[in-house]
Amino acid sequence: MSAFGVRAGVRVNISGMMPGILPLLPPGWKVSHRVIVERLYSLVVGDGCERHGMRRLHVLYANSMRVARDTSLNLVLEALETDLQRYTAEATPQMTFLHAGVVGWQGRAIVIPGHSLSGKTTLVREMLRLGATYYSDEFGVIDDSGLVHPFVRPLGIREDPSYAQTKYTAKSLGAASGIKPLTMGMAVICKYEAGAQWQPAPLSRGQGALELLANSVAVRSQPHQTLRRLQKLVTHAVFIKGTRGEAREAAASILNQPCPDKGLETA
Amino acid sequence: MKERQLPRARVDCISREFGDEVLVYDLQQDVGHCLNWTAAATWRLCDGNSSPSQIAGTLSRKLSVQVDESVVLLALDQLADAHLLVEPEVLPGRPSRRVAIRRMGIAAAIALPLVTSIVAPTPAQAASCLHGGSPCTSNAQCCSNVCDLLVTHRCVLG
Repeated sequence: MSAFGVRAGVRVNISGMMPGILPLLPPGWKVSHRVIVERLYSLVVGDGCERHGMRRLHVLYANSMRVARDTSLNLVLEALETDLQRYTAEATPQMTFLHAGVVGWQGRAIVIPGHSLSGKTTLVREMLRLGATYYSDEFGVIDDSGLVHPFVRPLGIREDPSYAQTKYTAKSLGAASGIKPLTMGMAVICKYEAGAQWQPAPLSRGQGALELLANSVAVRSQPHQTLRRLQKLVTHAVFIKGTRGEAREAAASILNQPCPDKGLETA
Repeated sequence: MKERQLPRARVDCISREFGDEVLVYDLQQDVGHCLNWTAAATWRLCDGNSSPSQIAGTLSRKLSVQVDESVVLLALDQLADAHLLVEPEVLPGRPSRRVAIRRMGIAAAIALPLVTSIVAPTPAQAASCLHGGSPCTSNAQCCSNVCDLLVTHRCVLG
């Protein structure tokens, strides 16, 4: 398969597994007929016979490196999905991947960069409930023109103490998914704190770009491309930063911010 | 004049303009810096041939306002801390922020120099972490930051 210019292959030791693997591939993947791939995943499904005192293990390799080994096939398949997405984000020469939630609103992209557990997906979900269009809860995908592309996959919302994600499609939340790449209108840098009031402060374009840099997947391996695309990305954007309490309050406030075209200037 | 009093900007960095500010990426240390206008203008004038007072003079002419040398020294101090100067040594007469503000006057025409830095993330840091019980191969992958590498090869519950 090929996605964002990255070619990867998946092979399995038993037949009939592939239909279950296809939904795990990165959004927008295509069949590649090239024989040589950059990363080859080998999924070894443990045989069905249980021997006394022995565990049946399923093992996933990426090239010659073991990625996962577990008795639960579902967990190993989850590892395949995660690793393949991460590798694509890191290796693609065509795009810059930001760790961010993204929604479309009034023809512009609102980008919410942030580390794991910062509450991106929760905020994205609330914006979808208020009528925003779903673009991603994991990666903002930026092209050479600075446009933000959709990376649509089910939202993974962490609802229990183990941080396990429950998957929701945008449709199940009553939202549409974006298709067209958008110009970024706003970036929201926020963290969650119980009981906090959402009172964001404007951030300068340079400081905002630095926040985006801090969430760029491949900045270490592709610094030139990353900076060049960030420079294009932020041209028409405003940045706000703050601590939020309940996502609903923050989401409503963010969507009510005037867009840059309507007079909100960058700090 | 000693060489250390003629600051020179490192050239092995990538820089891009973002409005009035400049983003600098240090390829050696994988650190990103945001320089505000004053810090960026000072950094650009660090050619290895100009002293801090000469840099202050050049800035004054560019802006048509008096830029005190203490402002330049404050900028150089921050640039040196960020490792954006060649052989950053302690500059003579490290100014305090308070002195620089006083000398700039209340109605200052330029902002105090400011350099903000972040360490660039590794790909694992810039992706969602794995929940407790997920197969893992390193601590950094797990939300709890603990992967049981000895027995289960799974993320430990946080």
